[in-house]
Amino acid sequence: MKVINAVLCPGCGSLCDDNEVYVEDNKIVKVKTECALSASKFLNYNKERNTKPLVRVDGQLKPTTLEDAIERVARMLVEAEYPLLYGWSLTSCEAQKKGVELAEEVGGVIDNTTTVCHGPSILGVQDFGDPTCTLGEVKARADLVIYWGCDPSSAHPRHMRRYSSLTKGKFRTPEQRKVVVVDVRKTATARNANLFIQVKPNQDYELITALKMLLQNEEIEEQEVAGVPVEQIEELAELMRSCEFGMLFFGLGLTMSEGKDRNIDAAITLVRELNKWTKFAIMPMRGHYNVTGANQVLTWQTGYPYAVDFSRGYPRFEPGDTTAVDVLSRGYNDATLVVASDPVANLPKDAVKHLCSKPLAVIDPHMSLTAFMADVVIPSAFVGIEEEGTAYRMDGVALLMKKIVDPPEGILSDVQILDLILKRVRELKKGR
Amino acid sequence: MSDMAELKLKIKVPPQTPIEGEVLTPDNLAGRSVNEILNLETWRGNRRVKLSELFTVEGESASNPSDLHLILEGDLRKVRHIGARMSAGKITINGPVGTSVGFEMSGGTIVVNGDADAFVGMGMSGGVIEVNGNAGDAVGSGYWGTRCGMSGGLIVVKGNVGAEVGRWMKGGTIRVGGNADVFTGVRMQGGTIFVAGNVGAKLGAAMVDGKIVVLGTVPNILPSFYIDEIRPNTKVDGDKIQGPFYVFYGDITEGGNGKLFISVEKNQHLKYREAYLL
Amino acid sequence: MEYLLKNGYVVDPVNKIDCERMDIAVKDGKIVESVDESKAKVIDVKNMLVMPGGVDLHSHIAGSKVNIGRLFRPEDHYKDYEVKSGVRRSGVGHSVPSVFTTGYRYAILGYTTVFEPATPPLKTLHTHDELNDIPIVDKACFPLFGNNWFVMEYIRDGKLEECAAYVAWLMRTIKGYAIKVVDPGGVEAWKWGITSQDFDQEIPRFGITPRELVRGLIKVNKMLGLPHPVHLHCNQLGMPGNYKTTLRTMDAVKDLAAGDRPILHLTHVQFNAYGGVDYLSISSGADAIADYVNKNPHVTIDIGQVIFGDTTTMTADGPFEYKLFNLLRGKWANSDVEVETGAGVVPINYSRSNYVHAVMWCIGLELALLIKDPWRVFITTDHPNGGPFTEYPRVFSWLMSKKARERVLKRIPRLARVRTNLKDIDREYTFYELAISTRAATAKILGLNNKGHLGVGADADISVYNINPKEVNPSTDYKMVRQAFSRAYLTMKDGEIIVKDGEIVAAPVGRTYWVNTRAPKDVEDVVIPEVKKRFEEYYTVEFENYCVPESYLAWSAPIQPLEPAG
Repeated sequence: MKVINAVLCPGCGSLCDDNEVYVEDNKIVKVKTECALSASKFLNYNKERNTKPLVRVDGQLKPTTLEDAIERVARMLVEAEYPLLYGWSLTSCEAQKKGVELAEEVGGVIDNTTTVCHGPSILGVQDFGDPTCTLGEVKARADLVIYWGCDPSSAHPRHMRRYSSLTKGKFRTPEQRKVVVVDVRKTATARNANLFIQVKPNQDYELITALKMLLQNEEIEEQEVAGVPVEQIEELAELMRSCEFGMLFFGLGLTMSEGKDRNIDAAITLVRELNKWTKFAIMPMRGHYNVTGANQVLTWQTGYPYAVDFSRGYPRFEPGDTTAVDVLSRGYNDATLVVASDPVANLPKDAVKHLCSKPLAVIDPHMSLTAFMADVVIPSAFVGIEEEGTAYRMDGVALLMKKIVDPPEGILSDVQILDLILKRVRELKKGR
Repeated sequence: MSDMAELKLKIKVPPQTPIEGEVLTPDNLAGRSVNEILNLETWRGNRRVKLSELFTVEGESASNPSDLHLILEGDLRKVRHIGARMSAGKITINGPVGTSVGFEMSGGTIVVNGDADAFVGMGMSGGVIEVNGNAGDAVGSGYWGTRCGMSGGLIVVKGNVGAEVGRWMKGGTIRVGGNADVFTGVRMQGGTIFVAGNVGAKLGAAMVDGKIVVLGTVPNILPSFYIDEIRPNTKVDGDKIQGPFYVFYGDITEGGNGKLFISVEKNQHLKYREAYLL
Repeated sequence: MEYLLKNGYVVDPVNKIDCERMDIAVKDGKIVESVDESKAKVIDVKNMLVMPGGVDLHSHIAGSKVNIGRLFRPEDHYKDYEVKSGVRRSGVGHSVPSVFTTGYRYAILGYTTVFEPATPPLKTLHTHDELNDIPIVDKACFPLFGNNWFVMEYIRDGKLEECAAYVAWLMRTIKGYAIKVVDPGGVEAWKWGITSQDFDQEIPRFGITPRELVRGLIKVNKMLGLPHPVHLHCNQLGMPGNYKTTLRTMDAVKDLAAGDRPILHLTHVQFNAYGGVDYLSISSGADAIADYVNKNPHVTIDIGQVIFGDTTTMTADGPFEYKLFNLLRGKWANSDVEVETGAGVVPINYSRSNYVHAVMWCIGLELALLIKDPWRVFITTDHPNGGPFTEYPRVFSWLMSKKARERVLKRIPRLARVRTNLKDIDREYTFYELAISTRAATAKILGLNNKGHLGVGADADISVYNINPKEVNPSTDYKMVRQAFSRAYLTMKDGEIIVKDGEIVAAPVGRTYWVNTRAPKDVEDVVIPEVKKRFEEYYTVEFENYCVPESYLAWSAPIQPLEPAG
């Protein structure tokens, strides 16, 4: 049995890199980690695994050769007038780069799961910028940590103990930090907070407006705003004003409730305002372990972080039109390649309906719901377990994921599969 | 005045993949023979296609864009950026139309006899857009990151509009015959929005200047707007609009000088704000 | 592959060649004495200007803050785009271009080496990820040390040898090239919300001053034999009156100089050359700085010239960007990096009719024109802070033609003319001086012996411009100068033709240089375990994962340090 140290977890956006994985006979037998989600990831990744390329014949998915599957995907993409290449958040940057190259080659749209989670955050940043920092700054200095519209106890289990309220930093011990939770109901995180503010659903914007007014010493002509008594809002404002370093973490509670990118506009400008009094920063709690990487790669290679349309031979960005959900809901695309994501499980009904009505290929280690609806399925290796690669943490720090064990016989990595597709696409285009 | 040459393009088959419509402006089609126009190319998805493949063409062009009336017929829901950057002339669209109609236009008229999609008049600086149906989100907004929406011209939507109408708007006028969704006039910097119907929550959010008039209901007013007075009536582009109106000013958090004119009659739930009148 | 470039007017200052008609022979990627003309591909460059490929020592092209700039400026990109064609990948400009476009546009200008001057060590895997994607040009990155907790603590405790061991370990571990210092101590102060740091004021909670920090690092630089001097962005950037800080800074390390190798490179000095007391009275301090540089050979500078138009400021100087944001009240990004440094990004539009911008514009050119030794003053725009690198040819035309300058001077506010020196300067750069400032001298100061010249053994990085130096008078024909330098007639990289008549015909991978620094083993054996122990307390990543493996670089080109001085 050998132990591999400093292993990155291919789980959530916290991208913890201190896991110890024990391997015997090319199998993971034990994991030393503080996170239940992480342990489950390492120990159960092989369950319900798809190990064969599949093709739909007479309505049924049947095994086929890799060569046949690649051929079908390549043809599908070349023949399509407006293919959508979607997913990308659960794979390496190396694979994401191949995705960009492929989308450019076939003149399609490439979009990642940002489109359904933190797209609004990016739109907010595009209007106002981003007063932020790396997680270690929070650890070192933060004496006020606010979790708004997110529940790290459930979704980012080690976040507080590793990066924020429950950790010890150079200038701050856990006792010297205060935690505030703002949410529509009392979450697990809220139960352990110093202050919990229950905001009325879809009225986070109103609450942030009230906070801004109090910080600016303006009168609020109401008894309560967004279901929160003004005295409580004043309590939060005072905590914010008087801290030495405040950190605002936010999640889908803000990005996906009424207002979306306008909520993030409000949150960013609130944090900007706070910098007049003290040091304050903001950070989105990214869900998938490499959705940040997808944004970074897409941005430096195309100029835009998601929803990139290559149909005219150069990158174009019009969120609301070139975003995957909108491409699907309007029925723009005539073929889809899904990589490392499960849109059938989490996109709106109209979008899923169109997705399944057109040629669909999936590259995924698992038989996801989307794979079950696909015309071609190519199994791939697990990045971070069976395949190394670069990933970006929620604060933009890039780290290298390790290869712990070999993938099952015949299973290639996303990078290799995409490379084969790209090669075949180029051959087919030459012939056309 | 029918001195305009009429050029009618009828879509042969509603496309499955999106068509790039920015070639469809009087500026681009003026001074060309029908044959030349048929041979012009645009995009359908990632394919270059001739207009002749997509449309039947009748009528004739004009030598000057201002003398050209371009009529488009059929289901144009997937035709994007029609009228982009146009400066003169007229486009009539008889059917539903795709996103970004009138993108960055500076003059001329576009009439849509059907529903429009999102981003009507994005980046517009002049001209007129008339939608005789509903429109989607972000009417009169600006390209992402510019922090500047419509800066001039007139947009009239007979039906309803989506969310964020007039986002970052700097000038010009938007008239809505029906209802508007949330964040009407968000980040407004100037110009006027008139809504005959109801608006959604967060009206005028982060406004710094400009005027919004609402004849219908508004669920609430943000705490960052203070009541200023009650006025018997107001004007929109010189037209008198009968009130009475609650007049709010804000957005205070932006040091704003924007004004909201809200129908008193339809918004009795706001009566409690009268207590704050000086 | 063998080439013979025939009949061109060669400018090669390292080898003292000034517009001489000469043939250049290329074989297997290097300049050689001669080639067999019957076998080689002969390219006739009669009446054209032949120079070594451009070497840009300071341009923000890759990494976290550059990508933040790209991400939050879609409006910078949507009207300036490049369609995929041939070997060219698609991309966008304008002031924060995407990576492929960056490489192509530099090659079209005839530049073949471009260095990213500021990378936060913790985020340097990201920097290399982007550098790997920039085609054609050779590159490197400078890790930031000026607000680093380890460095500040070692210097505070007088432990210079240990500091050197730490710097050596860090430099080779993350594959860096030189010691970069930005607003020493000021970014650490900013992490507590303080927006100003004086050169002689104690850095909050660290007990040393920026003066001590800079001196310490210069000593470390000498101990480690790094090929480039400490590369410094002074305190008080952007502040009226800051030229005094710049003078104090240069003088503070004068005694550390030994021999004729400069020990300090001050970067984008235009931003640190202001007189006056506020923005209403801001004036040029360039004459005082030029005077000092002329008298003191231990310093080199690059100018950081302003170009009127829309661009994006980005720097590790977080507090400066916060102050700029408060002036402009537009978009603002800030990114503090634990233990090490920070960053800020703010878009700006420099306007001819804006008094402050006009003064800034004058100052950059004054520095280049008043400093007499072209081997010690380099032409940059601190891309994209002063303006996009695609505007370099415009800067060349201003330096080579008083008439070109006067055209601009006529249109700036009168008071800006009065409070600066530019209108009274007659000097005009020659092609020879231009080649020194953009190739020969920059390669030399970086310690790149095979770049910046066309002697035998040099890398065959060559740029040819369609301009006849014998017939064109740059003083009057400045538009021709600008046009010629905007599109190279031919760019060659490692003996391969990259640009033909302004078009990209090949896009090979470029090198990533880094210095394989080492300190004495007995010191490293103590320091590295110490650093590893502190990682748990200071950082949020494992010590092991901090490393950038050499295999990560698309084309790793390690350099051995120079013989350390003593």
